[in-house]
Amino acid sequence: MPLLTDPLPTEVPEPGEVRAWRSLEEWHAGGPGREAVSREHPPGAMLPPEGVARRTFLQLAAASLAAAGFSGCFRQPPEKILPYAKPPEGLTPGVPLHFATGLEWGGRTVGLVVESHEGRPTKVEGNPLHPASLGAAGVFEQAALLGLYDPARAKTARLQGVEAAWSTVRDALRKQAEREDGGAGLRFLVEPTGSPLVQALYARIQERFPRARIIPCGAALADGRREGTRLAYGRPLDVVHDVGRAVVVALDDDFLSTSQPGNLRAARDFMHARNPEALNRLWVAESTLTLTGGFADERLRMRPSQGVALMLALAAEVGAGLGASTPTHAPDAGGASGSPGTPTRAPDAGGASGSPGTPTRAPDAGGASGSRVTPTHAPDAGGASGSRVTPTHAHDAGGVSGSRVTPAFGEGLAGLRVPPTALTDVQRAWVRGAARDLLAHRGQGRVTVGPMQPPLVHELAFAVDEALGNTPRLLEPVALPEGGPEALFSLAKELSEGRVDTLIITAWNPAWTAEADSGFTSHLERVAFRLYHGLHEDETAALCHTFVPATHPFESWRDGRAPDGTASVLQPLIAPLFPGAVSEVELLSVFAGLESQSPYELLKSLWRERSGTPPDFEARWEKWLTDGVIPGTQAPPSRASLNEAAVLKDAREVSGQEPSLIIGNAPDLRAEARASHLWEAPEGLELSLVLDSRLYDGRFAGNAWLQELPEPVTKLTWDNAALLSPATARVLKLEKGDVARIEVLGQAVEVPVLVLPGQPDDTVTLALGHGRERVGPVGQGVGVNAYTLRFRDLPWGGASPTVTRTGRHHALALTQEHWSMEGRDLALQLTGEAFRAKPQALASLQEDGERLYPPTALLASERHQWAMAIDLHRCTGCSACMVACQTENNVPVVGRDGVLKSREMHWLRIDRYFLGDPDDPGFITQPVACVHCEAAPCEYVCPVNATVHSDEGLNQMVYNRCIGTRYCSNNCPYKVRRFNYLEYQRREPLTRLRQNPDVTVRSRGVMEKCTYCVQRIERARTVARSAHRDIREGEVRTACQQACPTEAITFGDLRAPESAVRRAHEDPRHYKLLNMLGTRPRTVHLVRLKNPAPKGGA
Amino acid sequence: MAPLFRPGTDSVLRALIALALGVPAVSVAGLLLLARNPLGRGSFTPREQPVPFDHRHHVGDEGIPCGYCHEGAWRSPVAGVPPTQRCLGCHAQVWNESARLEPVRASGFDGTPLPWNRVHALPDYVWFSHQIHVNKGVGCVTCHGRVDTMPAVQQVAPLTMGWCLDCHRDPTPWLRPVSEVANLTWRPPGDARETGRAVQAALDVHPRTDCNTCHF
Repeated sequence: MPLLTDPLPTEVPEPGEVRAWRSLEEWHAGGPGREAVSREHPPGAMLPPEGVARRTFLQLAAASLAAAGFSGCFRQPPEKILPYAKPPEGLTPGVPLHFATGLEWGGRTVGLVVESHEGRPTKVEGNPLHPASLGAAGVFEQAALLGLYDPARAKTARLQGVEAAWSTVRDALRKQAEREDGGAGLRFLVEPTGSPLVQALYARIQERFPRARIIPCGAALADGRREGTRLAYGRPLDVVHDVGRAVVVALDDDFLSTSQPGNLRAARDFMHARNPEALNRLWVAESTLTLTGGFADERLRMRPSQGVALMLALAAEVGAGLGASTPTHAPDAGGASGSPGTPTRAPDAGGASGSPGTPTRAPDAGGASGSRVTPTHAPDAGGASGSRVTPTHAHDAGGVSGSRVTPAFGEGLAGLRVPPTALTDVQRAWVRGAARDLLAHRGQGRVTVGPMQPPLVHELAFAVDEALGNTPRLLEPVALPEGGPEALFSLAKELSEGRVDTLIITAWNPAWTAEADSGFTSHLERVAFRLYHGLHEDETAALCHTFVPATHPFESWRDGRAPDGTASVLQPLIAPLFPGAVSEVELLSVFAGLESQSPYELLKSLWRERSGTPPDFEARWEKWLTDGVIPGTQAPPSRASLNEAAVLKDAREVSGQEPSLIIGNAPDLRAEARASHLWEAPEGLELSLVLDSRLYDGRFAGNAWLQELPEPVTKLTWDNAALLSPATARVLKLEKGDVARIEVLGQAVEVPVLVLPGQPDDTVTLALGHGRERVGPVGQGVGVNAYTLRFRDLPWGGASPTVTRTGRHHALALTQEHWSMEGRDLALQLTGEAFRAKPQALASLQEDGERLYPPTALLASERHQWAMAIDLHRCTGCSACMVACQTENNVPVVGRDGVLKSREMHWLRIDRYFLGDPDDPGFITQPVACVHCEAAPCEYVCPVNATVHSDEGLNQMVYNRCIGTRYCSNNCPYKVRRFNYLEYQRREPLTRLRQNPDVTVRSRGVMEKCTYCVQRIERARTVARSAHRDIREGEVRTACQQACPTEAITFGDLRAPESAVRRAHEDPRHYKLLNMLGTRPRTVHLVRLKNPAPKGGA
Repeated sequence: MAPLFRPGTDSVLRALIALALGVPAVSVAGLLLLARNPLGRGSFTPREQPVPFDHRHHVGDEGIPCGYCHEGAWRSPVAGVPPTQRCLGCHAQVWNESARLEPVRASGFDGTPLPWNRVHALPDYVWFSHQIHVNKGVGCVTCHGRVDTMPAVQQVAPLTMGWCLDCHRDPTPWLRPVSEVANLTWRPPGDARETGRAVQAALDVHPRTDCNTCHF
């Protein structure tokens, strides 16, 4: 055991000389410990909010008045008990029910299980049986719950500007639907959806009105991947992110991010192939620092426009490599010849990546005990998720796969040329390394490209994958209507020509997401009857005189399809909170002539028909509802084969050209766009627009949980910012918080700057979705609207903006600088090689430091000793755990001003550290919540015993004893305690409906922190002990553990001999945070292992 | 001239000072005691209800077991108040024209709940589960008293934390076989502690006294 005077065991983390730092200010200051960094709270954090002094005074005065007249002092206010008049089926008051449903965004559905307390949905969890969830739930899915109870939701319908009941609007719509012209002037602007019910309605409408058009709309439609499949395979196909591979090369593809549909499953698959025993390797080239890039073994900074050049170079390298070696060799032969440093993969690794999740899912399904998803369905879980092993896959896993292309194709690829100026030496080295790795793992690799890259890059990526026998996972498309962003432009043209008399808008807010040059917004006024169906009275509603409030997804019947095509019935959890709300199905059924049937009836009859009208349909239907999955509905794998000639032709067209000519995402770059000045400025700055990882395209801007959730990479809350690399910021003389004016093609925004290490030079990244103008009190005017910089040919930026200083300053609410841990080695990562060479390297961080106090006798219980383990190797930083914790534990939001004063209340935070060179740093995330020290420093200093230890190892926080001295927070070395500086909990009826009734709602002046979800422990204990047994392994799962897509968090009983948490606590990778303080944390972290490509030989 | 201060003045002054200090002190202390006392809090007064439901009749005379209406006690944290439907299960046939049952029939017809007045109210920061107590041999009568003798239900136990802890620290004398939990007239056959010990061993009763048992 090291002495207290010994230096910190800093030699252990492998990047020994690589300094970890959390902000540029810290880096420039030469390390932490400076005044601004070291303070837990900035000056003034204790002050009351400005501007409410008078109100505070009145509150105090009222309180003293009440105290003066003792009446009501002793007696509790009378409470009512309102039992059901007629109890719902299967409900016992006090016992929550769980219902399988789902949420569709981006046209794809994630299956969910929602907890309902006496009819109030209170918590969103993943559905273990659903292939897109496997038990995990992302930030959007979980936060959708808050959107349900949003008081700013639209409540009443309008007809031609006059408030009207839905029945009145429906009559007007019926009149519209009685038209005789075959729908010549009738247009529907809709969001692409996989829902078979809605698609059936579209078909029916098209049948009734053959001349009507149904037009897709949405910010994410500009997807190069879909167009890329058309170029490569001859028709548009769906691509499933199949990243559970031995080598993954991602080109500007943030497949771990929250803003891509299917990310939960992709993250799970990827982690299954990244076993600490046999690491895979992730190559990422990206145009801003993302979570995927942070996870990469070999990360490369690139400008967005360099995608084509990089992919050309990769294709050429791979083509040359294919020609050099015989195409018939076995994969391990390639491993031997290729990269000697690559860890040899266990023979079963291929099998594991082929069907990840399947074997380990069964316990999870069982873990959701008491829920409607009963353990008896576990075999089906295997069936549903296991069936994703498509025939082509089984082929792969067998190791007999070969390239499906002709040898001439490889030669064609090898002949592609990239001009010498297009790529730097570092980039060429990266390409060579990636190609070598891919060639060494034929049939086990994957090249994946982000949706923002042009179709050509996707086309080439498919070509490379096919040439290597990696077999991209292609499915027949499930979402309709088809069409890219050009559909909206053709509609705008029709509007301008006055050819549209009726426009029904069910897509989310097209007036706001439309490209700046679409003209949609300005021509919208020309439509005589324009109806908007939306959740809020937003920017589009303001332009439409007829408006119908929409039901929330948790309030209506619908169905949806997962990225792999699996269909689910999405059942409502609650009747519409606002009686005027109408679902999309109800609205469309008026035009489909099916309004005599309710959405439920339509849905049921559709699926009765689809399942072939079996005699036991009712029983099947019940099972589908219970499971949340309709078995056997996966989209068929596509048998399309690569169009080699077309790929080579397209590639040769750009081969050898300067990259500046081939940026942009439009499938057919128009001549005027090619000629315009845009394409001739490769030396200047480059703008990159991205979907926001918290607000998506802006639809979650009214959601306070998501607004306050720190952006996983920048740790920015309540704003968006233009991200610049340190070098570019120096050139432009901009610093963090400086407001810059960004101008593109005559459009300009003024946006604060955030200097982000790891950002490519000369690239300005700006997130869409912020700066909403009509969104309710939460998101109103938060951030800057980047849609004004979006153009048809440049949907994701790409243009060269002029960036100028305005001289103004905007304080960005970052959680980055708070709770600095004084530069100790906290979030650790080692190379797999170094760790295997010295597995005992972490020994000094695993033992317990000395303590001044005698060992406590409190940890007496022989029954359970609760503990947690957080595996940094699996943590991507996606923040799903934070939202889960916030929902489960009634954690309030504090607003932008609160975050600026370091008053955020998240019990679980995700620390983010940069390592090394600020221009191209390493990156690691580390979730930290209360670690439940066995010798907790907070407990020694509380004057009122409000924080004490339980005999099962929990550091308990007793709210009703707390008097708010904050001594405990001062003495906590992990800085995980949160103080209610103000009365944050709003007591409005809607807000109260959402709260978890098992957890106390804390009031002002009370300290709080992670409880290990003790309410779940106590619930499980009550159930188990009432049945005269002990709590079983897996019966208690914390909210964060449950939500985590990568299963990075383990919780359980240290005393149980076979518990997962005990195995994690004995894992050689584990270490105890700040162990030298002798706190004996019950939460241990597991070190992250990296697998960089062997040096040299480039 | 008579002296301004006579010999007794000191005593008067002392008495006045004593009163000036003592009266507020005693009254404050008294109020505090009263506030902490169930009597002062009005806990033990019978509660009027919207329908004059009489447990004496239903439990005492008719012998309806507790679990017929409060079945949640066996499987939920809350014992629950029966839905109107259950009242009407009998009262659609019996006393189906009684004026006193008019609110019950109204509730049954239009589906609005009957607003019962809560008798046993724990603070919001307390989590209490009937399920675990009932299944570990704590009788209804132990906390709720002889409900079968109450015309209107009233609280009989103080429901303070000290009272809870008394039992959690030494539950033995209060335990009974699970089969007798709902029996309001059951008495331990011999020594309560001895019976309790047998029950405790059989049901593996280990009450916890950590804060987080009830507060989270």
